[in-house]
Amino acid sequence: MIKTPLCDLLDIEFPILQGGMAWISDAQLAAAVSNAGGLGIISSMNADENWLRLEIQKCKSLTSKPFGVNVMLMNPHVDKIAQVLIDEKVPVVTTGAGNPGKFMKLWIDAGIKVIPVVPSSGLARYSERAGATAVIAEGGESGGHVGELATMPLVPQVCDVVSIPVIAAGGIGDGRGIAAAFMLGAVGVQLGTRFLVAHETNVHENYKDKIIKAKDIDTTLTGRSLGHPVRCLKTTFAKDFIKAENDPSTLNETLEEFGRGALRIAAQEGDSQKGCFMSGQIAGLIHEKASVNEIIIKLVKETEIALTGGTQWIK
Amino acid sequence: MVFEKVVEILRNYKDEPELEVTMESSFEGLELDSLDTVELVMEIEEAFDTSIEMDGSLKTIGDVVGLIEKAIA
Repeated sequence: MIKTPLCDLLDIEFPILQGGMAWISDAQLAAAVSNAGGLGIISSMNADENWLRLEIQKCKSLTSKPFGVNVMLMNPHVDKIAQVLIDEKVPVVTTGAGNPGKFMKLWIDAGIKVIPVVPSSGLARYSERAGATAVIAEGGESGGHVGELATMPLVPQVCDVVSIPVIAAGGIGDGRGIAAAFMLGAVGVQLGTRFLVAHETNVHENYKDKIIKAKDIDTTLTGRSLGHPVRCLKTTFAKDFIKAENDPSTLNETLEEFGRGALRIAAQEGDSQKGCFMSGQIAGLIHEKASVNEIIIKLVKETEIALTGGTQWIK
Repeated sequence: MVFEKVVEILRNYKDEPELEVTMESSFEGLELDSLDTVELVMEIEEAFDTSIEMDGSLKTIGDVVGLIEKAIA
């Protein structure tokens, strides 16, 4: 059994969060993760408040366990989204793509536990001061929008400057990764790519197949020149995007247009010519599709083995 | 007085003792990204033992100085 203070804090069985992945993490996946003892998280991506309200209500109909919503702070509907979370009494909110300062007090006063995703120790410290329940220190090994630091240096540096629980994310795909995160000082983990291939995940089968087929060297970063790098699989789309990005005559507007809708195309249509298949570097660790419940049970077992095995080096 | 202290913290942060700074200097112009801004504003807050709202409306050194002056008035 793996238990940390995060379990009591979030009222979950295992300290495992499922990352909010745009166009991927819907009510069905979130509810499945929560029902399996982790914390499922719905991604509100760029959606409007009406879509999110229905998704939250669907999640509540599928699970009685706590779940969360990830808020992308650059979402144009973010003010209305913030209110829906309060109206629907969502237990946990994670935030990404910015500084949640503006909404922290509002959510905390409503009894919501706020867990910002942070790419630096400064933002972690700031989040703690603003009342965050915990922080997710996410390294650039993760899929989707990434920061500069890798998980290995980021997590202990965040742990050193905050006293709230730290959840590690980025580059964690199995129990060895979870055990390593604990050694760095984290008391929980967030996994995205690992859950992408779950039976309960509503994405095109091509997406799941590509993750399973991927090796360690099969992800790349697009969008560096735009200031918001995105980790995805090296598909035709990614290669074309990087080619355009490296061409000095390409305008930023052209690149933005190139990438628009590409994640939706990947998730719903599975089209590798036009779709952006976001994925973490751990894709190469994933060899099979499974149910969420099987994934979580396996992760917990592997973590126990890794943590127990670690003591063999103490002589 | 607030401005001078902010400039001192900024020069120290960037490790550039001669850095030219005015009230109009923008974070972007000073090559400070959003994560630098969070770090820097927290250092400034701690120096003045106060806190200011960091909601994305902070664009220039003058914005920070103005909010600090208001907070410690």
